[in-house]
Amino acid sequence: MNDMKKIKFFVSPLVACITLFFLGCEEPKLKQPRETKPDQSQETSNSSGKVDREFTRELAREFAAEFVKEFAKQINHKGISLDANQSTGAFKNSVSKTGLVDPGGKPHPLLSHCSEDVLEFYQKNADCFSILSPEEIPNDLEWQDGSSEKEFSSTNAKRGGTFHAYMRDFPRTLRTIGPDANGGFRSYLLDNNVIGLTHAHPNSDGYYPGTANEWAVGNDGRTVYFRLDSNARFSDGKRVRASDYFFFFYFMRSKHIQAPWYNDFYGKDKFQKVTLYDEQTLSITFYKAKPDVVERVSIRPKPEHFYSELGGEYLTKYQWKPEPTTGAYVALPENVDKGKSVTLVRQNNWWANDKRFFRNRFNPDQVKVSVIRDNDKAFEIFLKGQIDAFGLAKTEFWYEKLANDHSLVKNGYLTKVTFFNQAPPPSYALRINSQKAPLDNLDIRVGFHHAMNFELVLERIFRGDFVRMNTVADGFGERSHPSLKAREFSVDKAVESFARAGYSKRGKDGILINGRGEKLSIEIMTGYKHFEDVLVVLKEEAKKAGLEIKLKVLEQTAAWKMANEKNHQVIFSAFGTFVELFPRFWEPFHSDNAYQEKGDLKYLENGDLKAGLTTKTSTNNFTQTAVRELDHLINQYREEEDLIQITKMAHRLSKIIHDHAVWVPAWKKPWLRVGHWSWLQFPDDWGPKESTDYEEFQVFWIDTQEKKKILNAMEKGEPVSSQPTVREYKKYESK
Amino acid sequence: MIKLNPLTLKKLHRFRSIKRGYWSFVILLFLYVFSLAGELFVNKRALLVSYQGALYFPTYGEQISGKEFGLDYDYEVDYRSLQKKFQREELGDWVIMPVVPFGPYEMDYANEGSTGFSPPNWKTGHFCGTDKTERDVFARLLYGFRIAMTFSLGYLFLTYLIAIGAGSVMGYFGGKTDMIGLRLVEIWANVPFLYMVIILVSVMPGWWGVGWQVSSLLFIMVLFSWTGMTYYIRAAVYKEKARDYVSAAKVIGAGPARIIFRHLLPNVISTLVTFAPFTIAAAISSITALDFLGYGLPPPTPSWGELLKQAVGNLKTAPWIVISTVSALVLTLTLVTFVGEAVREAFDPKKFSTYE
Repeated sequence: MNDMKKIKFFVSPLVACITLFFLGCEEPKLKQPRETKPDQSQETSNSSGKVDREFTRELAREFAAEFVKEFAKQINHKGISLDANQSTGAFKNSVSKTGLVDPGGKPHPLLSHCSEDVLEFYQKNADCFSILSPEEIPNDLEWQDGSSEKEFSSTNAKRGGTFHAYMRDFPRTLRTIGPDANGGFRSYLLDNNVIGLTHAHPNSDGYYPGTANEWAVGNDGRTVYFRLDSNARFSDGKRVRASDYFFFFYFMRSKHIQAPWYNDFYGKDKFQKVTLYDEQTLSITFYKAKPDVVERVSIRPKPEHFYSELGGEYLTKYQWKPEPTTGAYVALPENVDKGKSVTLVRQNNWWANDKRFFRNRFNPDQVKVSVIRDNDKAFEIFLKGQIDAFGLAKTEFWYEKLANDHSLVKNGYLTKVTFFNQAPPPSYALRINSQKAPLDNLDIRVGFHHAMNFELVLERIFRGDFVRMNTVADGFGERSHPSLKAREFSVDKAVESFARAGYSKRGKDGILINGRGEKLSIEIMTGYKHFEDVLVVLKEEAKKAGLEIKLKVLEQTAAWKMANEKNHQVIFSAFGTFVELFPRFWEPFHSDNAYQEKGDLKYLENGDLKAGLTTKTSTNNFTQTAVRELDHLINQYREEEDLIQITKMAHRLSKIIHDHAVWVPAWKKPWLRVGHWSWLQFPDDWGPKESTDYEEFQVFWIDTQEKKKILNAMEKGEPVSSQPTVREYKKYESK
Repeated sequence: MIKLNPLTLKKLHRFRSIKRGYWSFVILLFLYVFSLAGELFVNKRALLVSYQGALYFPTYGEQISGKEFGLDYDYEVDYRSLQKKFQREELGDWVIMPVVPFGPYEMDYANEGSTGFSPPNWKTGHFCGTDKTERDVFARLLYGFRIAMTFSLGYLFLTYLIAIGAGSVMGYFGGKTDMIGLRLVEIWANVPFLYMVIILVSVMPGWWGVGWQVSSLLFIMVLFSWTGMTYYIRAAVYKEKARDYVSAAKVIGAGPARIIFRHLLPNVISTLVTFAPFTIAAAISSITALDFLGYGLPPPTPSWGELLKQAVGNLKTAPWIVISTVSALVLTLTLVTFVGEAVREAFDPKKFSTYE
């Protein structure tokens, strides 16, 4: 679970992408038939004969490339040099015009470098892309620059060294978008690396500046203005231009990236308008005045000069050709050992080296990520010192395989760390399908809750290290319900509740039966083979309450499939969550994700469900929850823009779902547990509060002298510490 | 009724005279019978309870509620703590527990706050230690043995049934029947056994009971592994068919069914018998392997494969699991192999042939 990365704007799409994948296409009718190309009409109207414009452009591009080569050759001969920034510098004074293109068809100076295809895209979507004069920036904006926030890196940090990490599988591409791009390695390229306009501060609810120095939310609450940092550079030395933020949308909405979900997520519906004012200022208008609108529109610039434009060859051309990045680490094709490792190199004169919130981070000079396919093998390699850190969340690793009296820990060579963090935990829970008999009965569901002995599981299997999750939205700070508690294991309460549902007599084997002689038997399915022991304990304990549990442990994909078809009675599963301001309820609990019938059409007048509804498959509503009151509240919640109201609603929603008893919360880890070689050093607080992984915020550094010292001591067999190096950081422990 | 011919009887006597194989057979038989009566020796239920003058025999039959013995709960009595309670109270009530007072499913969390993987301990009664969820390894070994053996016998019976049917038909009728039949068998034999089992097991509906799941696993395994035996039966039937007694039976007017079952089968049985122990060994190995991979018996059914899986993951932390499970596996397979060797030797035709 340490692999989970906290991501602000790129993984939320990713997770939602998965969600959407399960949601499927709601209205397939809306899809364009293949043969009618969207821009066909324009083609025919613009040109008299039938000319394939894409083909023409392709040809032009090839000729241009040849021409440029030839041109460059000649320039070299004559000893003339061209300054890359010369052209943009010239614009600065002339930027006063508005509009994308002037009446003569000449592009605005800010867009003068754009290719024909890109310009055409902007023009076609002129309602979304506009250029205004700087005078039109409102005067009454409250600019913020994050200066009141504290930095979370350590001034003790030293640059240098190589950080050794591992991945389970070699990345299938070095693109960060498109097919196969969302593998675990992407976090090294993008999520933990690339700098966007602003970033959410991991220790507070505020933001810190990235490629924008200042930002301000407009009076409408949904337009955010950004003043860009003129120092921002891509790793190839080119400066970040204002138009790179335009290009971001050209890129994300292109069909060539083959990422329909991103096409949609960054579509016009949500990102309604992007406006450039001058080379330093832009604004982005979101569709709704959400409280976290700054975070939502803080996109990362796309290097337009690298792509120029996208074509059908995008996937193949950039498969192993990483784009220039605003982040500290660069993956160069020559540092890729295919199938074995990828080495990322830190830029020596990275533009953000001394920038507040970025200094003293990204310390190692190199990060070498090698492929180790087996987790146990990786652990052995870690013990040999060839990997610098290893997640120790599993009890057997923490207590047995790397016990506190392990010689490496005892001598101080290795450090074991428990860091209490505050981030939404993965939602481990038993999800009850309230559509399937006998679980359609509330009393049975409540009884089921009381029959699940998670207390014993936490105490014995997890040795008291994990804590019980209490609500469907734990870990969202204020937005989590303050007092709601998960139903406790209680044989009496369970039996009482089952009796209300008619199961009042114990059969020969001690399992409850109802008047018709039916046994109280429920199947729990899961795709997590490694949690089989947990379910075995639950099964044996449930017998005490007269409940028979049948276990079905499947392959992950098979389990997902079954749950997506809503064929399960109860599924034990978890969804990854990521740090967000407020939880989501629509996907897992709205009735529109349970039945095909829309909105209130599914309910009778008294609020009961109608008979004969059509189940909606492939959605995240694994509980088949359909409660009219809940639906209405979720609809309101999604529309709401005021954070105080959102908080209140989130509490009410959690309570209603609790009362509906379809979700048995399991556990959460209140900490991160990591083992690392002692030459890896961390700040005094170890890391920011919202860390979900040791690599996430890149605040650690490698002490190369310490490394030498430890390696020498190991050779001689001398300890470097008189006590076992086991550390605990409780600063951010939730009470 | 199949009458064993004197030759076969002679072979059985010969088997008895091979001491190693014979005694292995006796031990194996004893172990199996012992495991069938396992509830009397390894069980969380008491053998005998005397409470307020009345006697209870909880081993077989209905579950007895705690209230029956004046306890405050309605679920099944925890006999071990009941025994301690009676001893404390000294009211003349008593409980007799089996030698190993643990069931195969039961998590002994009363075991001094343990969190799984308790080492073997004579005092607590966990002779082979406990597994990850504090279940008694010995109990799981014993019941796992029972299931594996029963499974293997069922497997043996069913594969032979199909193999005999197909083999005799092909062998007896010969010609086109043989030609086509053999091709079909060859095609079927090329279906990869392990993949098919894995695929079919993973689509098995979960609402089936454990019994159903185990039987269908058996059925699936048989379905994809009966072919091997067919060739031998077919060849043996071919050989026997040419003998005079078959012609004699035909002349008298006996039909094919009668000839196959009354005359041919008793004579080809020796071929079968020599293979039987090895089939059993193979069945035990494959069910263990499937369990190890997670495609075998549904959890938490006691099984050796599941124990081995735990053992491999915890070689250093819980060596007692690997030691006891591997010993049990090696012992059983060795015994079966000894039996097999003896049977083969006893049924070896060379012993009785005179080639001069």
